[in-house]
Amino acid sequence: MLTRQISIAAPIFLLIYAIQEAVISQFRLPGGGFSILLIFTLTWAVLSETEVAAVIGFAAGFLMDLSQSAAGPFGQWTLIMLLAGYAISYIGYGDDNVRTNAIGIIFFVVIANLLVEITYVASGALLGVSSGSFIQVLITLFGMSMWALLVSPILLPIFSRLHALIIDSRSA
Amino acid sequence: MRNGGRARLLLVILIVTSLFLITLDLRGVKVIGSIKQGSQTIMSPFQRAGSVVLTPVKNFFSDVTHLGRTRSEIQKLQAENANLKSTLINRKNADAQLKQLKSILDLAGTAGYKIVNAKVISNGSSQSFAQTITIDSGTNAGIKKNMTVLSQDGIAGVVKDVYPSSALIQLASDPSFRIGARIAGTQQIGVLTGRGNRSASLQLLDNSTTVKVGEVLLSRGSIADNPYVPGVPLGYVTAVDNSAGAIAQTATIRYYTNFSTLGVVAVVISGLGSNPGDSLVPAKPRVTPIPTVTVFVTPSPTPTK
Repeated sequence: MLTRQISIAAPIFLLIYAIQEAVISQFRLPGGGFSILLIFTLTWAVLSETEVAAVIGFAAGFLMDLSQSAAGPFGQWTLIMLLAGYAISYIGYGDDNVRTNAIGIIFFVVIANLLVEITYVASGALLGVSSGSFIQVLITLFGMSMWALLVSPILLPIFSRLHALIIDSRSA
Repeated sequence: MRNGGRARLLLVILIVTSLFLITLDLRGVKVIGSIKQGSQTIMSPFQRAGSVVLTPVKNFFSDVTHLGRTRSEIQKLQAENANLKSTLINRKNADAQLKQLKSILDLAGTAGYKIVNAKVISNGSSQSFAQTITIDSGTNAGIKKNMTVLSQDGIAGVVKDVYPSSALIQLASDPSFRIGARIAGTQQIGVLTGRGNRSASLQLLDNSTTVKVGEVLLSRGSIADNPYVPGVPLGYVTAVDNSAGAIAQTATIRYYTNFSTLGVVAVVISGLGSNPGDSLVPAKPRVTPIPTVTVFVTPSPTPTK
């Protein structure tokens, strides 16, 4: 069941990764922009069981580590996304108030997006990765959160439909 | 409970894997670098395609994002461009004037004339059909009425009116301009009259002599070098009128001076006192040889089988 679901989701994640690298990364958006892969993964995690969320978090993190824009050591994103996926699913999946409420999902995704970025900066500092001045980091975090808040409502219907499609195919 | 245990086990395995990856990377294991390189190799065609396709969109968003900045930058660049154009025009103008001045000084120096240089500040109105210019030097610089005015190539005109800091010059092209001329070499004399353009008419005084196309005319000079100093190049013969029954032979002359490009002129305030003769005759233009390259090829015997 898990294997089937992940194997169907894998091409979608690869496609999202390609869109992130080939399209979204082309734009130098103010305030740091957004990561469609990160938003997609977090949305997917909210809607999935913990096991699935952990695996897709791991896979998405692995892809993010493969990106040329990843500054930290390889595996840093993998670890963070794995934990984020598991945690967000653990908190959100069992709560119908979150799963069945679009605003709840967006809220979760945006907060998770912010926490993931903070964790990345903090762990990067521990691993010796320079992230810029404190003020700059704050501005970027704020900007990315705003972008996530702006983009998530637009992408949520698409992502949730994709998720439902895969769940349906699993049930069939 | 069973599911929860499996999930936790999976989580632990994945965490360990992640930490393993981090450790490998921090220890500089090349496999990780190769994976990253391989993924970039796969992604780069997509990125290039994305860049090509999205460039207009990016430009649009960039323009929208930096609307105010772009506009002010355009205005700033336009202002800079205008300044640079103006500087360039001034520079070109200065260069041209410098060239003219150098030639005038050469000319005057060869003849031993004492001159005052002046810049052309106005071209006279053509409403009165007179060919005049105004220069920026006058009596304060020692310029007086009826002094010879030189250009870089020869005669420019004569001082018609003079003011403290400017002077009106009658150009040699003016129809009322008259100057005594002599042909370099043969020393035949005549009177040159302006025609309103770069050509002039020469009327020889002696009917028994002849003039040929290409001969050079110099100023004959006036008493006490006033209004004309001797030996100034005027022009060259372009056509000769040999009509029968004419009292004196006439010819068409082309002035050396291009009156439409006068930027700097020199007013001869005193001559040498002696006639420079033909020393100011301009050198004939040399034909620049076109270099040719001849290639000799010796055919090598081809082997026959």
